[in-house]
Amino acid sequence: MGPSVSSQKTIGHKTIGVCRLQAFERELLTLLPRLRRFARALTRDGTDADDLCQTALERALKARHQWLEGTRLDAWMYRIMRNCWIDEVRARTRRGQTFVPEEAGANVGVAAHEDIERRAELCDVDRAMERLPAEQREVIALVLVEGLAYREAAEILDIPIGTLTSRLTRGRQALVKLLEPA
Amino acid sequence: MSIDPEKLMAFVDGELEEADRRAVERAIADDLSLRAEVERQRRLRATLGGHYGPVATQAVPDRLRALLGAEPNASIEHDKVASLAEQRERRRVLRGWHAISAVAASLVVGVVAGQLFLLGRTPPIATSNGRLVAQDGLADALETQLASAPPAMAQTRIGLTFMDTQGRPCRTFESRVFAGLACRGDGRWQVVMATATETAAQPIYRQAGSSPVMETAQRMMASEPFDAQAERAAVQGAWKIGKR
Repeated sequence: MGPSVSSQKTIGHKTIGVCRLQAFERELLTLLPRLRRFARALTRDGTDADDLCQTALERALKARHQWLEGTRLDAWMYRIMRNCWIDEVRARTRRGQTFVPEEAGANVGVAAHEDIERRAELCDVDRAMERLPAEQREVIALVLVEGLAYREAAEILDIPIGTLTSRLTRGRQALVKLLEPA
Repeated sequence: MSIDPEKLMAFVDGELEEADRRAVERAIADDLSLRAEVERQRRLRATLGGHYGPVATQAVPDRLRALLGAEPNASIEHDKVASLAEQRERRRVLRGWHAISAVAASLVVGVVAGQLFLLGRTPPIATSNGRLVAQDGLADALETQLASAPPAMAQTRIGLTFMDTQGRPCRTFESRVFAGLACRGDGRWQVVMATATETAAQPIYRQAGSSPVMETAQRMMASEPFDAQAERAAVQGAWKIGKR
């Protein structure tokens, strides 16, 4: 599918046509809506999600030579995003900035108050996701939110299928308990 | 036969081979609690889909687009780009049987309604003033059933309830034979789409969250699906909500 003529017009002082984008950027652009959704499920927060997308895109652009053309760019990107998020969580934990009890340990630190306010605004689904251990949440995000097959998700996470299914099962059971208390 | 939780989840996710899938179907048929768990897990898929799905249809922020050298949203035909991304997204999820059933969805209504008619029962869908409307048991289920508390022997089960962008309350439904989506207008439940039930028609059924019905529901949704409390209030208020 070629770029439309209308996409090539002057914006301010520079002209950028979509057709000038390289295939790599173009494909990433197509993936972006899904990547934002995945980021949202991982981070449970719109701003964190877009920050994560930005970090991941920057990393992907820098590492573009490592991507093998003909292999799935979405799987590669999910993997990068997940690694970026793990790094971010570690960095925040080091800074003592709490945001999620499970990921950041005890609720101490200067940001705790803001954190509580922020969490009050989260809806049920975000709150329930927040209470899952990270390794269950990422499995839920890939399989139930992104709709990947078990095998695909296991490859992205570098875990055996059996590990994936047991994390998925525990995560699902926990979510149902949180969202549909009997 | 006992079904371990992993296998039950794989069943819900459409990850089982044919033989295993049939075995689980047989086990479910005899076991109310297993069936309830399957329903809970399907609802979970739908809830997650309803919550996160809209993120993938929003316009991507300019700062992210700019990283890839693309123009800001406002300078291009925004709708075109958004819908293109949406279409690609749909194509991706609607693989295989999904794609076929999505294309066929508009045709299936007549076939399904016809089959039920041949069974000698009142068809669940009829035409009225040039519209497809639910009647009989389907209309009753849409009007009164709570997804959060389905009757034990219900023929039709209600999935999601939500307001669409036209301000109408809409509900997804599923019976043993067919599944679909109806919205309430002019005092009736107008059937927006219906398709053969996935477990019956789609041997490689993948996920409730991205079934054709759920895809359509996600595109029509104006906001988050109703929670149990909102659903109950809507039923008790006889659907006097929204614009009308």
